[in-house]
Amino acid sequence: MKSEKRASWILLTPFILLSLAAGVIPIGFALWTALQKPETIIRPQGGFGGLSALLNSLRDPRLVTSFKDILIVMSIWLPIMMLGIVGLALLVHSSKGKFAGIMRGIYYLPGALGGIANFMLWVYLVDPQFSPINFIWKDLHLTSISSVVSIGNTPYILAAMLFFQGVGSWMIIVNGGLNGIPDEILEASSIDGAGTWRNVFSIKLPLVLPWIGYAFLLNVAYGFQLFLEPYLLNEITQGAVPSQYAPSQLAYEFAFTDRNLPAASALSLVLLVISLGIGMIVVLRTGLLGDRKVK
Amino acid sequence: MMSISTQNSHPSKYKIQRKPGEKVGIGTSVRVIVMVGIGAIFAIPIIGFVAMGFRSNEDVASGKGGFLGLGSVSIHNAINSFHTINAFGPGKGGLFTQWITNSVLLSVAACALGVFSSLPAGYALARLRFKGKRTVLFLTLLAMTMPNTVLVVPIFLEVDKINSVGQLWPLMVLLGFFPFGTYLSYIHFMTTLPHELVEAARLDGLGDIETFIKVALPIAKQAIALVCFYNIIAVWTNFFLPLALLSSSQNHQTITLGLQQLIGASPLFNPTIAAGLTVKLYMPQLALATFLSTLPLLAIFIFAQRYLLRGQTLGAVKG
Repeated sequence: MKSEKRASWILLTPFILLSLAAGVIPIGFALWTALQKPETIIRPQGGFGGLSALLNSLRDPRLVTSFKDILIVMSIWLPIMMLGIVGLALLVHSSKGKFAGIMRGIYYLPGALGGIANFMLWVYLVDPQFSPINFIWKDLHLTSISSVVSIGNTPYILAAMLFFQGVGSWMIIVNGGLNGIPDEILEASSIDGAGTWRNVFSIKLPLVLPWIGYAFLLNVAYGFQLFLEPYLLNEITQGAVPSQYAPSQLAYEFAFTDRNLPAASALSLVLLVISLGIGMIVVLRTGLLGDRKVK
Repeated sequence: MMSISTQNSHPSKYKIQRKPGEKVGIGTSVRVIVMVGIGAIFAIPIIGFVAMGFRSNEDVASGKGGFLGLGSVSIHNAINSFHTINAFGPGKGGLFTQWITNSVLLSVAACALGVFSSLPAGYALARLRFKGKRTVLFLTLLAMTMPNTVLVVPIFLEVDKINSVGQLWPLMVLLGFFPFGTYLSYIHFMTTLPHELVEAARLDGLGDIETFIKVALPIAKQAIALVCFYNIIAVWTNFFLPLALLSSSQNHQTITLGLQQLIGASPLFNPTIAAGLTVKLYMPQLALATFLSTLPLLAIFIFAQRYLLRGQTLGAVKG
């Protein structure tokens, strides 16, 4: 129907206009800027540079280091994160009534502290001067915040921050998936003699696999875009944690310290492609677009 | 990071009642102990941190107060610390309240725009037939999975082009783009709007847009609440975008940038800069400022709780 089509696009107009302003046009600017030469004092007009900005930013030794850093963080953080998400979701799911509700609320609590609040909480935890866990720091013979937040410890601290902030809210998603499993299935398998663990591995986990995959992929995407935590660690350690620890920080540094907008744009586009790639897998493979297996 | 809260939907579990004297299985006891233990690991740091905001510098330095310093908390300390925090800034200070005000303005504006754009788009995607629908839905989902830091540099280029770096309004518009909200609305209109209502409206001669405004919208309170809740959290905790766009303008900064400035001015981390400042911020002040900055979110969370609990059919998230 023609009128239905027209109505649809009218209803979509505000959303589409905003997506142009916040998505399409900025990407266009970045593409265009990435093809320019950086403006310098001797060449203030910039000019067309082809792929030189992209190649230069890819060849920057700091880029390789920042990707290595972030992969180390993810290799520590993601296994713990996935184990925590699934483990807590299963624990809450096999609990009953009020107790389950209260525990779920407590596990969610750290997730309510967004970004910088979670960071501040961790500053409190890693400073041996105040920390309620300073027995750990004492055991390791770390007496000041600068000895705890050393470059060698940074991946562990970042992993801890990310875990603490994210595990609760993702647990709730996976728990929601578990709640969608019809009781009859679990009851039937119990009657057939399946124990708790058998139920977990043969029924619960396979049925919430799309959720787990979804959680994993979006956390990977998030890991590549890490910014706030390493940025602020750099600030509180007065540079002991480098200012280009993560790739997004390097893009920020290209743009606002080096004033090299073409390199910043090129690197942003590289990071965008990574996110898009992961996003495509999420949308096409975890059943978001079509019928979901588990409701 | 966002999520949908879900209710434990196991009505059958409530029926299982243990008879008095019946033995609790060893598996159950282990599970309960493990769960409570993990809960303590989650809760204790937060309790200690909030308590920190209600202690005085002297008590913290001398280690008074016992476990987590809980013995040395008082509202009087918090009031003193608040005066110190709000003295931060040029002249008489007052930057802290300014940051909170800016964040409130930004959140309200972005959320209004988010609702205004998400609800109609979600309705069209869920209930109307048109060519290109699958593509729009696909792109919306793709945008939804993107971390919000990914376009910061490109957005900076755009805002710089229109000479609006340092102003609050571009953020209001940009953060009003909220694909997750469109997805939430889409699921809402898909799952909760009865077909009969839409059909009846059609038979009454209402056009598609009128049907949306007069029939679907009035019963979409839950979707509006959810979109607002997630959008406000996303805006309130956003750090990278305000950092790139507002760093140059002291008066337009948000609370996340403000907290960053407080950290940067603390003698704990930056003795040289702090030495030049009259306002000395130590851990109690930083903890209190952080705690206060999360209160608005807490209030919204409590307000939205009943809608969130009902939102269990919406099994999706944004990272």
